[in-house]
Amino acid sequence: MQKQYKTEAYKQLKETRTQIVIPLILLTVTSYFSFIWVIAFNPDFFGLKIFQTKISIGILLGFLLILLIFVITLIYVYLVNKKLEPLIKKIQKNV
Amino acid sequence: MYRLIALSGLLFSNLSFASNADKSEQNIVAIIMFVLFVGITLLITYWASKKTNSAKSFYTAGGGITGLQNGLAISGDFMSAASFLGISGLVYLSGFDGLIYSIGFLIGWPIILLLIAEPLRNLGKYSFSDVVSFRLKQKPIRILAACGSLSTVILYLIAQMVGAGKLIEILFGLPYYSAVIIVGGLMISYVTFGGMLATTWVQIIKAVLLLSGATMIAFLVLYQFQFNFDNFFSQAVNVHAKGEEIMAPGGLISDPVSAISLGLALMFGTAGLPHILMRFFTVSDAVEARKSVVYATGFIGYFYILTFIIGFGAIVLVSNNPEYLNDSGALIGNNNMAAIHLSHAVGGDILLGFISAVAFATILAVVSGLTLAGASAISHDLYANAFLKGKNNEKMEMKVSRIATIFLGVLAISLGIIFEEQNVAFMVGLAFAIAATTNFPILILSIYWENLTTRGVVIGGSAGLFIVILLVILGPVVWVDIFNNNEAIFPYKYPALFSMIVTFIGIWLFSKTDKTKNSTAEKKLFEAQYFRSQTGVGIDKPNAY
Repeated sequence: MQKQYKTEAYKQLKETRTQIVIPLILLTVTSYFSFIWVIAFNPDFFGLKIFQTKISIGILLGFLLILLIFVITLIYVYLVNKKLEPLIKKIQKNV
Repeated sequence: MYRLIALSGLLFSNLSFASNADKSEQNIVAIIMFVLFVGITLLITYWASKKTNSAKSFYTAGGGITGLQNGLAISGDFMSAASFLGISGLVYLSGFDGLIYSIGFLIGWPIILLLIAEPLRNLGKYSFSDVVSFRLKQKPIRILAACGSLSTVILYLIAQMVGAGKLIEILFGLPYYSAVIIVGGLMISYVTFGGMLATTWVQIIKAVLLLSGATMIAFLVLYQFQFNFDNFFSQAVNVHAKGEEIMAPGGLISDPVSAISLGLALMFGTAGLPHILMRFFTVSDAVEARKSVVYATGFIGYFYILTFIIGFGAIVLVSNNPEYLNDSGALIGNNNMAAIHLSHAVGGDILLGFISAVAFATILAVVSGLTLAGASAISHDLYANAFLKGKNNEKMEMKVSRIATIFLGVLAISLGIIFEEQNVAFMVGLAFAIAATTNFPILILSIYWENLTTRGVVIGGSAGLFIVILLVILGPVVWVDIFNNNEAIFPYKYPALFSMIVTFIGIWLFSKTDKTKNSTAEKKLFEAQYFRSQTGVGIDKPNAY
């Protein structure tokens, strides 16, 4: 029973998962808290207009952040399906 | 089933009463749409009731829901009437600030996906406390997790019920009491008879209706501006009393502590909402769990973009149209009616009827999901695992879960009536704060931290729960606005930053210093638990339907 925790595939699974999760978590947390940070400390910056339009930087960045959040979930699932799923399948088969 | 039929009878008589009330000509579409929705959902409930014959089917719809279906159901749980009408109303009132909430509600999803969804599916059976108690002592952990779940669910329910009563009062001309009773009665029938299967399908149908309705309104608004956003926003700035200010952050967040604290509550609160977490047990495995989050995030993000356009659309097309304003120049009803009035402005009586019916359907679906999560905390966590220590029989557990559903339904109706005149807006905030302070830390640490012990969870978790409630009571929202004191004892509106620190430090300290025999055993079990959480080896197969 103890042996299954020591296999090469499981070790690789844990390592690869960390490599995928950590950068994406950092991206999520920093982008969100920078957004909140600007709102708390420099709200006027978000009121600036883009080029000649009436659209403010805050609104544009807000929309882009919503898009980024979705893209993060897409990237994660893409990477997990490609890199982790084969390892998981392999481990499941060997048990 | 008889109760179901009696109930729909009551509903029809009430609605026909509504059509006789003063403001109802335009509501005929709404009433037809609504009756159709109720009819179809009751049929689904009848169908589901025949398949709901085991605890597993009651709590998880048999575990065979697909990723797309679950994604829709999850987004349905999130797209409540409060967030549809509330956020578009907030945008109508102050523009940009509405976006802060939308993004806050959305940002929790990558966290759920990256850290929680798969381990949760791999370790749990019916509720998130299955995961927390996987290697810890059942009784104390179940009781704590159930307290966290129930307080989140009940606060959320009160806010939804009061909102529902008021909204239906305005939309259909029904008296507040009957509105609350109808919502409560329908919710009890969906959940008691149809369990998770009915609750999920009600949620899916409503999500599709709400997404289509909101898309329609936003499309018709933008169509009037030939999809020229610059033109659209310029108009809004010209019309709005606050002018340019609506394009920038306003007064929602004024100091950095509040900013971080609100941010934490929204981000991690989402990851601790029991009715959302419960949905991950309705899919067959971790692969589908992942898919559901991607779909849900996409739908919810798209929905928030729509509510933002709808809020601005209401500024341009509703705020200067006397048809929608009362004598003092404010919106008829209140600011939360912005989206409803806008639907009439761009789509006439038919769209208004459709949106009103969808708003009602939304409330029904959301309260059903909440009630089911609350009932499972009572029957699965408290009754079956804390008091009978898992030695119960399944028939009895299902009976208890149905009694718990009826109990929670009646409680929700009563509290809805008691809190009619109260400002309940803070309750959703408090629910998120509790979820972020208690449910999220104990869940995440139980999955990832080897040294966690029962003692740490119990002391840290309950200290956090106590502190967060205390800080809300002593803070500006309750102490000043509700108890009418001059100054708040705790100066911040959002307590999550402080209470989360208490929980994490409490858990860390009392786990680290735990030298009991029991704690050594719990740490030893971590390796096996982590293996299962990562690989899914050993999980149940879904029921074949």
